[in-house]
Amino acid sequence: MRKSKLNKFFTYIFLTVWSVIVLFPIWTLLINSFKPQKEIFRDPFGFPKDFTFDGYIAAWNTGRFDLYFRNTLIVTVLSLALILFVGSMAAYALAKWKSRAANFLYIFFIAGLMIPIRLGTIDLVRLIKALNLQDTIWSLIPVYVAMGIPIATFVLTAFIKELPSEMFDAAKVDGASEWQIYSTMVLPLMRPALATVAIFNMIKIWNDFWFPLVFIRSEEARTVALGVSLLFGQYRTDWTRALAVLSLAAVPLLILYVLLAREFIKGLTAGAVKG
Amino acid sequence: MAQTATATAVEKKTGFFNAELKRTMTWVLFLLPALVIYIVFMAGPLFDSLRLSLYQGEGYNPTRFVGLTNYIDLFTNPLWRERFFGAVWHTCIFFAIHMIVQNSLGLFFANLLSSDFKGRNFFRTIIFTPATLSVLVTGFLWTLILNPNWGAVNKTLVAVGLREYALPWLGRENLALPVIALTSVWQWVGMPTVLFLAGLMGISDELLEAARIDGASEWDIFWKIKFPLLKPVIGIVTILTFVDNFNAFDVIYAMAGARGEPSYSTDLLATLFYRTGIAGEHPVGIPNMGMGAAIATMTFMILMAGVLLWLYLSRRQIAEQA
Amino acid sequence: MQKKLFGLLSVLVLASMMLTACGGQAATEAPVVTEAPAVTEAPATAEATEAPAATEAPAGEEITLTLGSWRVDDVAAWEKINAAFHEENPNITVKFDPTNPPDYNATLRTQLETGTGPDLFFVRSFATGRELFDAGYIASLQDLPGINDTFTEASRAPWATDSAEPYAVPIIAVSHGIYYNKDLFAANGIEVPTTWEELMAAAQTLQDAGVVPFSNGTKDAWDINEVVMMQLIPSNIGGYEGRMAYLNGERCFNSDEMVASFQQIKDMQPYLPTGFEATSYYDSEQLFAQGQAAMMFDGSWSIAAFQKDATDFEWGVFYPPPLEGKDQYVTFHIDAAVGANAASPNLEAAMKFLEFLESPKFAELLGNNLPGFFPLTNDVPTLSDPIAADFMGFNSTASGVDIRFVWEKLLASPSGSVDAYTSLNNNVIAVLKDEKTPQEAADSFNADVAAWYGPSAACK
Repeated sequence: MRKSKLNKFFTYIFLTVWSVIVLFPIWTLLINSFKPQKEIFRDPFGFPKDFTFDGYIAAWNTGRFDLYFRNTLIVTVLSLALILFVGSMAAYALAKWKSRAANFLYIFFIAGLMIPIRLGTIDLVRLIKALNLQDTIWSLIPVYVAMGIPIATFVLTAFIKELPSEMFDAAKVDGASEWQIYSTMVLPLMRPALATVAIFNMIKIWNDFWFPLVFIRSEEARTVALGVSLLFGQYRTDWTRALAVLSLAAVPLLILYVLLAREFIKGLTAGAVKG
Repeated sequence: MAQTATATAVEKKTGFFNAELKRTMTWVLFLLPALVIYIVFMAGPLFDSLRLSLYQGEGYNPTRFVGLTNYIDLFTNPLWRERFFGAVWHTCIFFAIHMIVQNSLGLFFANLLSSDFKGRNFFRTIIFTPATLSVLVTGFLWTLILNPNWGAVNKTLVAVGLREYALPWLGRENLALPVIALTSVWQWVGMPTVLFLAGLMGISDELLEAARIDGASEWDIFWKIKFPLLKPVIGIVTILTFVDNFNAFDVIYAMAGARGEPSYSTDLLATLFYRTGIAGEHPVGIPNMGMGAAIATMTFMILMAGVLLWLYLSRRQIAEQA
Repeated sequence: MQKKLFGLLSVLVLASMMLTACGGQAATEAPVVTEAPAVTEAPATAEATEAPAATEAPAGEEITLTLGSWRVDDVAAWEKINAAFHEENPNITVKFDPTNPPDYNATLRTQLETGTGPDLFFVRSFATGRELFDAGYIASLQDLPGINDTFTEASRAPWATDSAEPYAVPIIAVSHGIYYNKDLFAANGIEVPTTWEELMAAAQTLQDAGVVPFSNGTKDAWDINEVVMMQLIPSNIGGYEGRMAYLNGERCFNSDEMVASFQQIKDMQPYLPTGFEATSYYDSEQLFAQGQAAMMFDGSWSIAAFQKDATDFEWGVFYPPPLEGKDQYVTFHIDAAVGANAASPNLEAAMKFLEFLESPKFAELLGNNLPGFFPLTNDVPTLSDPIAADFMGFNSTASGVDIRFVWEKLLASPSGSVDAYTSLNNNVIAVLKDEKTPQEAADSFNADVAAWYGPSAACK
């Protein structure tokens, strides 16, 4: 009994220390965005004495953050939905179709994890232009979906292969079609793996600024990451504003994450990767 | 009579083929949407670009076919060789630090977080939080915190009387890469933690309870029961760490610039590729896409070799278990 | 759980739709179709990628031009300049659309190669811009009225072919100097130094008084090269004539003059902030602006930043003084020009804007809205900003004025060799980190450049 108390004590110590390490930089970001420039350098880690909203007002007035958030949200949600849908279907086929073609395609898909996508930029810009999607947020979605497919097939195929094969045999004996098995049995079971894929891709898509940078020029189609990187460049010498811009970019996703965190972790741990 | 028999046989045979064909068609239909998007928007452009490693010329679409000249240059020209092997070595260190520090920490945290205690959900949430920040944010913040003049790290060290350890963390060749790797660990440790946590939750409580009743220590339980059962998760975490870090770019770009300051000591394969093929050297900025593509192709081959080895090992392991 | 997830997703979709509604008309605007999609199959030659659509704008039709730039800091000033142009040409609107400096070259090139480039854009000097012109992305300005009368040949040269065909209108020069804290100088009884030796003595006095003498660092690398080393070189080598002696091979890059320049870097080393290796350019500016360092080598482009931040003390500028017995030469660098996208469908309107850039009106707007950026027109307007005027004053008191040492001819090295900029940069840092002596650094600089630069072949 004493031993387990000691264990608990150490658990709290370690986790508290790490929490401080995690929260300290975020705290630094937030408090400094409310300080005038001079105070940031005089006292970068204390509570603001001279409270100012200047940075936020300037950032909000210069950048169209309402548009940026709307665009990023649309792009992220649609891309994720498509990645999960086409990725899980492909993964199901790759896991259950016993053939050379499937083995080859599996390698072919995960090869996409290994080349920096920037390499293909020029071809992609041409393609987007040919589809007449340049300078719109729709140009980003197919590229993000394509970027998400390798990781989706990789994680989901591994997951489906771990599922007990008796389950599938039983369903087949009952006369279920592959589509029925996929949609009514596999999809629900895959929840934790889908959550993993979703979170991986969500972070990448939300924060990507390379493709917006080359596809998009007009203010109306900018994403948060692009808008922030431009404003951040503009405010490099005005740290109050720079930090306000960065906070504006970080806080919504942080809130979204904290709201989702319980579901996310529950989803991940409910099914669990079977050991 | 005989005729009907043959007819049935033929019917059976075509029926078999039809069924086989139908099955194949089903799988093709499952694969088709992903395949089309993937080929058109990723594989096509990428492989087309790898082809560029056989060309030279200015701009992003070099047109002069030169065969393997770029590769020969990469391995024989002293400057290219130094930069390329420097980048390979730094990338290996960068990966090793993630593998050792990030994944051990992740396993450690997951083990703590899998037990039942008050505030568990709070800590689970915290650990993953930095992963949601953009690298622009983490890079800027950590540069501020590590700043030699007003950063919290050096201020604290001076305050507790360790002035000689208040180093210019991002300015020394031997320090910058590990320090940047550690800030990256700070950001991404939530990933392995969550994956390990999922694995640990899958281990049945009865098994652990039985071991405890038998008097096994927590240490033994971890190494003798949990760790072996986590092997598949460890495999996935390893390969994801490998692939992610061999493509790592953003954090170096944000904290050390495209040249991998100081003096190329943090130059990774991806920054070398970016500097060579996309941006060009400051201040000229004329990219050498042919060489850039050669560097990307080599990176691709290193990664492919690693992944194939991993697939081979994990299959052998599955075969052994069976 | 699944239901919850779906619920959440639908909330997200709903939320984004609501934002769409609030976002208003902007979102519903269809993307401007500049050309039929059929033309997009890229032909082999760059010029042909985008035949300028034959939409000759009839007079009075509204035209919007975009102006690409790497000057993200100057949005407000350029909006004023563009507004003045719009007043003169009511049917043309110019939109200033900058990209962050580290991304500028790559994004501009991507856009040009795929036919999505801005109508007008800032062009980097010498090799970088020349390469884009040779590839056919920049329109020739051979026929632009006034270009030869408005600018000296020296100003045009960085954006002209060997046969003096211009392809961009030079707009901006920048100067350099040492910003100094007048209060700290007065408190320690220091006069503005006139020789390098006096400057070093002043630095020692300041350090003894517990003040950081220079705030410069090496984390970002470029600043120690561009605003320190390249300001020291001209006085040592004798300005333009001296530089030409290197370019035509009469002097080697490890000449005594070059060693002396590296030695000056070495002299400065003890007076840099602790942890200078990890001090970035913006850190340096803040160290000076917060009054923690007495001096900073910096460019004239920073006037506005210091006016905003360094408000607690009096400050001014002086030029880095030469070594005892040497004459003063000043680096007045011709930095930026504006060119027109050869594939722009509104080339005619773009040319009108380029003509505007030659006008005294523009020179006046630029000089006074962007203190520290100097117009290049022959008739220089009076500058209202006193510090900017001080910078201009360096030029008249100096024995000569020249551009930065490595820019002409020494930047574009063949693949697999080290260009002069990179080599100089690496060697300066090596001296500061005690990895090389000034002589070793100069030798290594010489070896790097002579390896590929033809006229210096004898120096190998």
